[in-house]
Amino acid sequence: MPPALQAIGITKRFPGVLANDHVDFTLQQGEIHALLGENGAGKSTLMNILYGLYQPDEGQVWVKGELVKISNPHEAIARGIGMVHQHFMLVPPLTVTENIMLGQESLVSATRMLGRLAMLDRRSAAARIRELSRQYGLAVDPDAIVGDLPVGAQQRVEIIKALYRDADILILDEPTAVLTPQEADELFVIMRGMVKQGKSIVFITHKLREVFAVADTISVMRGGAMVGSLKPAQATRELLAEMMVGRKVILAIDKAPARPGLAVLQVEGVRVLDDRRHVAVDGVSLEIRSGEILGLAGVQGNGQTELTEALTGLRRVAGGKILLNGHDTTHATPRQLVEAGMGHVPEDRHKHGLVLSFPVRDNIVLCTYYRLPNAHGIELDYAVIARQASELVRIFDIRTPGIETTAGALSGGNQQKVIMARELSRLSERHGAQNGAPLLIASQPTRGLDVGSIEFIHRRIVEARDAGAAVLLISAELDEIMSLSDRIAVMYKGHILATVDARTATREQLGLLMAGVTPAAARPGQREGAHD
Amino acid sequence: MTDSASPKGAVAGRGWFPLLQRVVDLLSMPALALLTAFVLGAVVILITSGRLETVGEAYWGLLRGAFIKQRGFSESLVAAIPYVLLSLGLALGFKTGLFNIGVEGQFYMGALAAAWAGQAIQGVPALVHLPVVLLAGAAGGAIWAGIPGYLKAKTGAHEVISTMMMNYIAFRLTEFIISGPLRAPSGSTIQTPRISPAAELWALWDIPNRLTAPLNALTLSLALGFGAWLIARAAGAGGQHAPDGASAHTGIGVPVSPFAGLIARITHHASRHLALVVGLGVALVSFVALPPLTRLWWPFTDEYDRLHLGLLLAILAAVGVWWLLWKTTIGFELRTVGANPNAARYAGVSITRNIVLGMALSGALAGLAGTVEVIGVSICRCLPLFFSSGYGFDSIAIALLGRNNPFGILASAFLFGAMRNGADLMELNSGVSKYIISLIQALVLLFVAAPAVVRWMYRIKAAPRAAEAPLTRGWGG
Repeated sequence: MPPALQAIGITKRFPGVLANDHVDFTLQQGEIHALLGENGAGKSTLMNILYGLYQPDEGQVWVKGELVKISNPHEAIARGIGMVHQHFMLVPPLTVTENIMLGQESLVSATRMLGRLAMLDRRSAAARIRELSRQYGLAVDPDAIVGDLPVGAQQRVEIIKALYRDADILILDEPTAVLTPQEADELFVIMRGMVKQGKSIVFITHKLREVFAVADTISVMRGGAMVGSLKPAQATRELLAEMMVGRKVILAIDKAPARPGLAVLQVEGVRVLDDRRHVAVDGVSLEIRSGEILGLAGVQGNGQTELTEALTGLRRVAGGKILLNGHDTTHATPRQLVEAGMGHVPEDRHKHGLVLSFPVRDNIVLCTYYRLPNAHGIELDYAVIARQASELVRIFDIRTPGIETTAGALSGGNQQKVIMARELSRLSERHGAQNGAPLLIASQPTRGLDVGSIEFIHRRIVEARDAGAAVLLISAELDEIMSLSDRIAVMYKGHILATVDARTATREQLGLLMAGVTPAAARPGQREGAHD
Repeated sequence: MTDSASPKGAVAGRGWFPLLQRVVDLLSMPALALLTAFVLGAVVILITSGRLETVGEAYWGLLRGAFIKQRGFSESLVAAIPYVLLSLGLALGFKTGLFNIGVEGQFYMGALAAAWAGQAIQGVPALVHLPVVLLAGAAGGAIWAGIPGYLKAKTGAHEVISTMMMNYIAFRLTEFIISGPLRAPSGSTIQTPRISPAAELWALWDIPNRLTAPLNALTLSLALGFGAWLIARAAGAGGQHAPDGASAHTGIGVPVSPFAGLIARITHHASRHLALVVGLGVALVSFVALPPLTRLWWPFTDEYDRLHLGLLLAILAAVGVWWLLWKTTIGFELRTVGANPNAARYAGVSITRNIVLGMALSGALAGLAGTVEVIGVSICRCLPLFFSSGYGFDSIAIALLGRNNPFGILASAFLFGAMRNGADLMELNSGVSKYIISLIQALVLLFVAAPAVVRWMYRIKAAPRAAEAPLTRGWGG
């Protein structure tokens, strides 16, 4: 049986970059082939070539034993190649059926009187979608409006869209980047099922755990070249990480036990409404002390985002009280919180964290541009700003051609480093000041980042803690929560179900709490502030 | 795609001649848009006239009218002055994420306010009256633009709609006030009373005469001094400033050596005061030297030449807007709100305040343009009933052609001024309707707004730049 998909000696140059350097890649029929690599390793470039979005400068592409030239996605689809992009290509106001039909509309002729006017044949399309959804276990409602669906369901729509076009080779570009661990596990089950029914899947990721959970073969790319392919049985996490990064990587975080000091952040019975004015956070109380990391775990959408926004001044607090170093900051503005010593690494770095069209330099002073030494009166002092930016670029190892480069031109990891640099430098600047220890609120600080960057950012967070900061870490990655936190609070449906000691917590225990199952021991009265 | 192996950013700032390359990058698209528009204009002339020579005659007429004929060049500048001020207003709006399509109405309100302030007071010297009139005109525009700004900030009413409607209110309101409350009592033409001579913006040929009065000399020298101070400030502000002693570390615990700090502080203060010294020096020298010198020799002698001091005002406005946008915290906030309102909120920048401020500043510049037309250009030195300009809508194209950069705008406004001015002679010369100029300008706007078309025509690859800020925001923005 010939391979489903084979690339031989693929080379692709972009101005100034060799994105793919004689890359060989073979996808056998009926396998899940994980393609690992850091950001910028050339994974997406290779897949975009196979999908016809780019043309290779050199090399051959074989599909099911046939030498082909794929010059656009239509030809790829015609050859049975389907791709699910990381950012979905869906039209939110349309229904699932309409989205899937888009570009492949089947029509029913209306009555003769209407002549050539035809109508969309939604019914037979919906029937086919139900059929596919049942066959592959992809639960979606064909009549649902896509914009109303959660991310996981939207992804299933994308997969069905590929299957609807008779794809038997599926390329999934970082499908788990937008999913919770639970949703990811569901996706893996679906992928297994599809492979059993004869599909072949390329699975792009940079999360090591997932590779072992689902892959039949693992290929690793680095710097535009293929480093090697191996079976999961031959691989270890350390080996794969080393192949990806090109050096030994310390996966476990080495941190001393916490030495908590005075309470920095005190949250008392806080209630927050979401955009639709439903209660998203319902009476949450917690306390974080100087020198400790409190991890906030929970499945996405249980109020963590709203709580974080309320704590950082971005969302109105509907009830309760927030104290920062003893001062009431319940209704403080973001500017007041910056002045009070809070650092905030926002959940969505493109939406809140950066102005992508601004240079790195301006993003470094995004929150402090207005004050000395960055500005005298209304006049910005770009000499000071530039020096500060250059220094942070060096200290935080931000890979950028220069401080004048726009933030949007950086890779995700380096963008995140810009934010970390900005927020952490402000904290250490305040450290030792009279009015209490600083607070760092880090929301999904490593989402979508590669192993090297994750390691770096984790180290910095622990350093901030050791320097006396109180840290609130919100993350959908249970591994991250478990390895960084000193205490772990689990949030479920707007409540904090329990706060546990991170040293004794287990994955299973936390997983149950995240699903809303409380152990009998945790009575309502003991839930909050259980560390005391 | 998370992989950034794509070309974006990879080549930024690494060219062989980075500066030259940047300049070429910056100019190539507007230049190609212009070229294409003129070529297509030629095609239209060819089709409508049927003679190839007509194309030559038309463009030669345009060129002569704009630059070569008597007062051609200065008339082009006269037309460019309101264009500069209006386009600066638009650019400032665009940078704040606002499409102030109502500059025409703000232009009217500025003109109205200036016409009122110019005649309401009599007998005060230009030193007082001229600034008052300029401020009144700016305020008229600022208020007229501030209202839609406030509505947008508070209720989300889209400024494209509301400013456009404000335009019509402005047109009718000016008509009403000119023909009613503010109508000049004498004379058959419907217009506002003539403004006080002290409120006039001097024509350049008139300067030697004006300067015979010491207070007038003081006025001009103060204006020049202010201009010099502003330019020195704008030029120096990016450069050599250093932290104050109190904050002689960079905020990450790495102290700068005290010695370096001292030197930095000295140069810092020197550079701050340098601008002041330059400004005062220019003011003093021009006060002492200009009146006698201009009596001895003055290049502008033609009493029919309408070129006026608004030229200085336009250039200073360009420098001022540039300084404001890129060198001050105010501009930083405006641009942050324009580029990413969510990040602005995160950074503690008030979106409401900056939307109102951005609109008001944008309107103030438009109002200044109207003011200049009344106090510097109009023959009656008043606001006549039939005061139609069309400057405002052309300015959208000028701002875009100048890429919303104040200095780009100086260039593109001059170009449009020249075209507007040369059109008459073109019509006379070749029989081609002068409205062909509007066609060419519309094509320029089209090609600048849709660079993909130009890139496709000239087979230019898209600039490898991520997150390129859109020049204008869509209607939903």
